[in-house]
Amino acid sequence: MLRIALAGNPNSGKTTLFNALTGSTAHVGNWPGVTVDKREGVCKKGSVPMAVVDLPGIYSLSPYTPEEMIARNFLLEEKPDCVINIADATNLERNLYLTTQLLEMDVPVVVALNMTDVLQKRGDKADAEKLSAALGVPVVCISALKEEGIRDLVQAAYKAAQTKRAGTSVLAQSPLAHLIDDITIALRGKGVAHPLFHAVKLAEGDEPEVKAHPQEMQTVEAFKKKCADGFEGDYEALIADARYGYITQHFSAAVSRSERSEKLSASDKADRILTHRVWGIPIFLVILFALFHLTFAEDLFYLNAIFKIGFDVETGNSVLDSFVAVFFSSAGVAAPGVILFNLMGFVCTLAGNGIASGVSAAGAADWAQGLVNDGIWAGVSGVLSFIPQILFLFLLLSILEDSGYMARVAFILDRAFRKFGLSGRAFIPMIMGFGCSVPAAINTRTLADEKERIMTNRVIPFFTCGAKAPILAAVCGAIAAQYAGINADLLVFALYLFGMAMAVLTVAIMRQTTMKGEVAPFIMELPSYHLPQLRSLMVHLWDKLKHYIKKAFTVIVASSVVIWFLSNFSWNWQMTEIQNSILHDIGAFVQWLCTPMGFGSQLGKFGWVFVVAAVTGLIAKENVISTFYVLAPAIGALIPGWDDGESGIGPVVALMQATGITWQALIAFTVFNMLTIPCFAAAATVRGETPKGKFRYTLAFWMLTSYLTATAVYLVLTWWWTVFILLLLAALFAAYVALRNRAKSCPCGR
Amino acid sequence: MQFLLLSATGTIVTVVIAVLAVGLVAFGIGYQIWCKKKGKSSCGCDCSSCGGCCHSHKKEKK
Repeated sequence: MLRIALAGNPNSGKTTLFNALTGSTAHVGNWPGVTVDKREGVCKKGSVPMAVVDLPGIYSLSPYTPEEMIARNFLLEEKPDCVINIADATNLERNLYLTTQLLEMDVPVVVALNMTDVLQKRGDKADAEKLSAALGVPVVCISALKEEGIRDLVQAAYKAAQTKRAGTSVLAQSPLAHLIDDITIALRGKGVAHPLFHAVKLAEGDEPEVKAHPQEMQTVEAFKKKCADGFEGDYEALIADARYGYITQHFSAAVSRSERSEKLSASDKADRILTHRVWGIPIFLVILFALFHLTFAEDLFYLNAIFKIGFDVETGNSVLDSFVAVFFSSAGVAAPGVILFNLMGFVCTLAGNGIASGVSAAGAADWAQGLVNDGIWAGVSGVLSFIPQILFLFLLLSILEDSGYMARVAFILDRAFRKFGLSGRAFIPMIMGFGCSVPAAINTRTLADEKERIMTNRVIPFFTCGAKAPILAAVCGAIAAQYAGINADLLVFALYLFGMAMAVLTVAIMRQTTMKGEVAPFIMELPSYHLPQLRSLMVHLWDKLKHYIKKAFTVIVASSVVIWFLSNFSWNWQMTEIQNSILHDIGAFVQWLCTPMGFGSQLGKFGWVFVVAAVTGLIAKENVISTFYVLAPAIGALIPGWDDGESGIGPVVALMQATGITWQALIAFTVFNMLTIPCFAAAATVRGETPKGKFRYTLAFWMLTSYLTATAVYLVLTWWWTVFILLLLAALFAAYVALRNRAKSCPCGR
Repeated sequence: MQFLLLSATGTIVTVVIAVLAVGLVAFGIGYQIWCKKKGKSSCGCDCSSCGGCCHSHKKEKK
């Protein structure tokens, strides 16, 4: 089977083209650096099937970043039959820099001019024939997003792959032309593949080439001694200059620009506001809050708080009342996310009642009924009921990502947090952490600085992922239900921000202690804003849904059965009361550890409940919720239902009431879960991305940070006025000491 | 007779539930091990965002 490689600059549309060619649903993001590894698929759009390899986005074939290494090694070692070089037609000159390097390889190249639809919209024109004549390889105009020109491209690639092609260089006019020719001849004589490419890289002083061809390097050194140039021997810069010179001279004529494109684009105008030096971050916070408000608010736009419009509808029919309460209650009009959550809770309650009566009617033993109702179904439905709400949050986040705004977030945060030791590049995997820590940790491969990579991997779990979101939703919803004046949406928003603030704070501390070093410069091409594509959004949501469903029916269901068993059986394998159960004994044994955080011994006989929930969360964070839902009936908590005005968070409210846990301790519990060791999958991925021997420090970092922070949060929230007075006294004392020292050091003696 | 039939049904349902519970736990654990061995994606979900890559894959070295 013919093998085609897709190579191009970051965010030029390679993965979109890959999806169009292969029918795959690989993750596409409107920011550079989404793909960090190569992936393979089969294209059946041509006359014969062809294997297509999507390479990470690269600006050059120099081995500076892991992506460049992956792409270069693949092209040199795996010898594809043809390379499709995707060039963003809206930024042609910069994209052609990579093209000039690909042309130096002995491989057929086809240039795909992508985003020509955007170009036309601007009133500009790309002349594929003119460019093809200048480059000496076929050029095809396409729009990967709209799947236009794909068949022509496949045909061109198939045709090109049938014939061999020798590398060509655009450096014939450069001062190094003779040197490159000499080395090319020498390498060809030795039978080295891609001699021209290696010769140019050798002249650039490329590290792997210098090691591989020491004899030819002597020729370069001798040439350097003989010839003086304006680049002080920096041939890499000289060659780059020669490439850009050639591109400007020969290729820029292929694109004719209209007067319209010289003006500021809509993206540029939007960026003047959204990435404003002062307003950028406040606007980001407002957008983020709007997301949480639409997802978690029980009182949409605070209409009830302002106009007092909420009331409980009572028709006399409990099912109808419950259904109306899905949309409207005494709290006001529910936000779309809450409506989805309520609907799912309503369905889960009906399904649960059906299962319970079915198992009972079948005459199953009491323990079997308990296992099904309070074990398997309680655990699974606990997680399932949050899925629509969390999916809604992800839909909103995906819209931000696909529109191109998330790339701006990295840019505006870079400006603010650089002084704390964090670069905007590191924020890209962190923002990905809102979805799942696993791909976020993989994305850290794009960070060149090892220290920055280690720090980023450590703080990625602080960005609340989709699995932790149900914990926040449940806990904040329960607190809001129990305490008047607290809004669930504000609380969730505050906790998300707290996670981000902790990431910045801990990085700042690491930068001052164990990870001292310079912050890497951040250069990122800001993609143009565009309307999110429905297909792309659906792929994001399908991923999340698949993730939850798979987890719910594998890890969660298995854990629920185990938790139910351990909470209903004693050490001598007899069914027993919860106080004599295995789970109680295990939890009680370690509950003292959680006392400083507010959810240990102070809860008396229920001190072990939240300890067990936190421990099960180490397997998968959704387990915290399923544990709540299994343990609530097990400890005899009276679960409020729809009739009591509680939706799917009933078991959490019941646990609060039964155990007597305070809201401060619940917040500390949530903070502990947000910051502690992530799930096994994420921890394993971080381990894989961390240099050998360093992962144990990362584990210690997670445990210490979560424990100390949760303790501090509990203490501050519980005795905030005491802490405030102590802090005030400490500040006064520090000021006094500082003034005294200053007075002592004053040369005048006053 | 009806009582005996109901009792037998109850016993069968109970046994089925017990077997199902054990099966679910075995499947849950087995699935995780299978995913780990397969190495397609570290959490077993093989989401598109993982890009088909996994922590178990060898990283490219400079």
